[in-house]
Amino acid sequence: MSGSRPIDLPAGVTIPEGAGGSSSWKTVRTVLQHAYIWIWLVIFVIPFLATLVYSFESPKGGYSLEAYDFVKGAFLENLVYSLELTLMAIIGNLLISIPAAYAIVRHNVPGKRLILSTLNVSLYAPAAVMGLSLLITYAYLLDFMPLTHSTWGLLAAYVVGTFPLMLLPIIVALRDMPMVYQEAAHTLGASRAQSLFRIELPLLGPGIGAGILMTFVIVFNEFLVTLFIAGPENQTAALRVYGLTRTAGFSQSTAAAAATMQLVSFVVVLVFFKLVGSRYLKGTYFA
Amino acid sequence: MSRVQLISVAKRYGDTVAVRDFTADIADGEFVTLLGPSGCGKTTTLRMVAGLVDPSSGYILFDDQVMNRVPTNKRNIGLAFQSHALFPHMSVAKNIAFGLTMKRRPKAEIRNKVEEMLDLIEMTGYGDRMPAQLSGGQQQRVALARMLATDPRVLLFDEPLSALDRNLRDTLKYSILELQRRTKKTAIYVTHDQSEAFAISDRIFVMNQGRVEQAGSQLDIYLRPATEFVANFVGDNNAISGVIESIASLPDGQRTARVKAGTFELQGYAPDTLDVGDEVLAFVRPENIEVVGQNTQQQADGLVSGMVEQIVFEGPTVRLNVDCDGVLLNVSASGVERLTLLDKGEKRVTLRFRDVSLVKQ
Ligand SMILES: Nc1ncnc2c1ncn2[C@@H]1O[C@H](COP(=O)(O)OP(=O)(O)OP(=O)(O)O)[C@@H](O)[C@H]1O
Ligand SMILES: [Mg+2]
Repeated sequence: MSGSRPIDLPAGVTIPEGAGGSSSWKTVRTVLQHAYIWIWLVIFVIPFLATLVYSFESPKGGYSLEAYDFVKGAFLENLVYSLELTLMAIIGNLLISIPAAYAIVRHNVPGKRLILSTLNVSLYAPAAVMGLSLLITYAYLLDFMPLTHSTWGLLAAYVVGTFPLMLLPIIVALRDMPMVYQEAAHTLGASRAQSLFRIELPLLGPGIGAGILMTFVIVFNEFLVTLFIAGPENQTAALRVYGLTRTAGFSQSTAAAAATMQLVSFVVVLVFFKLVGSRYLKGTYFA
Repeated sequence: MSRVQLISVAKRYGDTVAVRDFTADIADGEFVTLLGPSGCGKTTTLRMVAGLVDPSSGYILFDDQVMNRVPTNKRNIGLAFQSHALFPHMSVAKNIAFGLTMKRRPKAEIRNKVEEMLDLIEMTGYGDRMPAQLSGGQQQRVALARMLATDPRVLLFDEPLSALDRNLRDTLKYSILELQRRTKKTAIYVTHDQSEAFAISDRIFVMNQGRVEQAGSQLDIYLRPATEFVANFVGDNNAISGVIESIASLPDGQRTARVKAGTFELQGYAPDTLDVGDEVLAFVRPENIEVVGQNTQQQADGLVSGMVEQIVFEGPTVRLNVDCDGVLLNVSASGVERLTLLDKGEKRVTLRFRDVSLVKQ
């Protein structure tokens, strides 16, 4: 701001006191507003912090990282399995939701409304009902494919349970995306696929990103439906933590496993917003 | 670099007929405009040429090849949209390069082309900007560069300037014309703005309710409207109804007719379709009615007198509403003499008509 001079107001001009009161009151108000937000944030993270602190407590007194030996050892396998399942569920959801969103938004599918409201059933069905229904279904299907107690069975359960979370934000994003970008791409010589991958999917990024994030958060932490379907071979991280609380009790290693799960979710969400969030949420027409 | 033909092209949406029986032969390098009011089918016609809309019937030909089944991305056209339609997630350079990238041209060639295009639109150095960081006029110029970069055979424009302010519209429409002249590409330009159409076209197609009302040069459309619609749509014409009393042929082949309209008579161009005794509408443009006298009673052939009801000073012109025995005329006077019309007081003026065109009623 070099070169700026104070502006002289004509004589007789007065500056009224702001309606918000004096500046000191403004400062107080700002501090209170910030404090309010922070208090809530702290309340939200207290359970997590408690678990974290507990996991560092050594049975011999003092603090140590001993409990995390278990996380690096046996529990790592469960974590990796959960992450693999989550990744596959995300891919499955994408493969279903992107074509489905196009069909629903861009074509006149008969019974569109009915389809859309039925889709949400899996979102508000209680997990226990869901788990039971899937078990029954898998029992019927047993002769064709053994889904119970298998990775594929779990995956199918997750996809059925969460793909509306992927589909809905993509539908919203697709509705908001003007046809003109696609048409411009075609006039410039882009094929259907080129337009899809270069223009449409990047522009649908925020919707797809929201779907990926929600799928991740739900599937990675899913417990109840998993309990119904998983066999001894399918120990997800959430299932293992639950199992530990029953066998090992509230030991430090249980807390360490739980805290690690939380941390993974937290880091993934954070990294997502850092990378994908900024890239997609900025440069698009949503900005 | 293509001749574009439309042969009886029509488009129906259920019961609505968006375009009916559109036939046109657009020469290589010609600049034609589709002009008409909102909803008359201009965009639909253009999008059929682009392949974004399938015609219900008829044929679209580029250089004697039927294009109907050829998808948009294989037609090698350039289309400028009303909203510039720049890809918001790509930089200016990436936008301009898009068409060539799709054609998998070598990197170096693409880079050179982008630079060349940026120079062409006088936006050298803007390559790294995002579209959202440009002004409306710059965005539209980048859209033009993007469309020219692939060297299309036909240029299509769908009201590309309508979102811009007036000054920008005026400069950009001449930029478009210049780009077209320089590249010698066939162009079809859609607009509802007649001054735009008159400024840049070789030929104008005036459309109404899906139909071509008249196709011709600016002068044809302006001075010799073929239908009542064209006469009314183009300029704010005076329409006077009357009956043809006689017709004479001029040495140059044109025919002029004497028309009796209420208490006065006037002369106008008569197309071959008109005969003595026909009821016609005589159209005269406000600037083609000349004020030849004030507060005098001249009675001569071809002169009409009337009372001035309203005078509006518009700067370069003075607009008069004149009542000629019940016929209300809109007169636009220019030149220095117009200022004498501004004197206060009741006025009787004597008028002379020029360039009267006749349309069957
Ligand atoms: N996809 C569609 N479905 C149904 N009717 C349509 C469709 N597209 C256009 N129409 C109708 O076809 C007619 C012509 O539309 P078009 O868009 O070609 O008009 P236009 O001359 O470009 O008008 P404007 O100057 O407002 O852009 C209109 O009556 C419009 O309602
Ligand atoms: Mg239009």
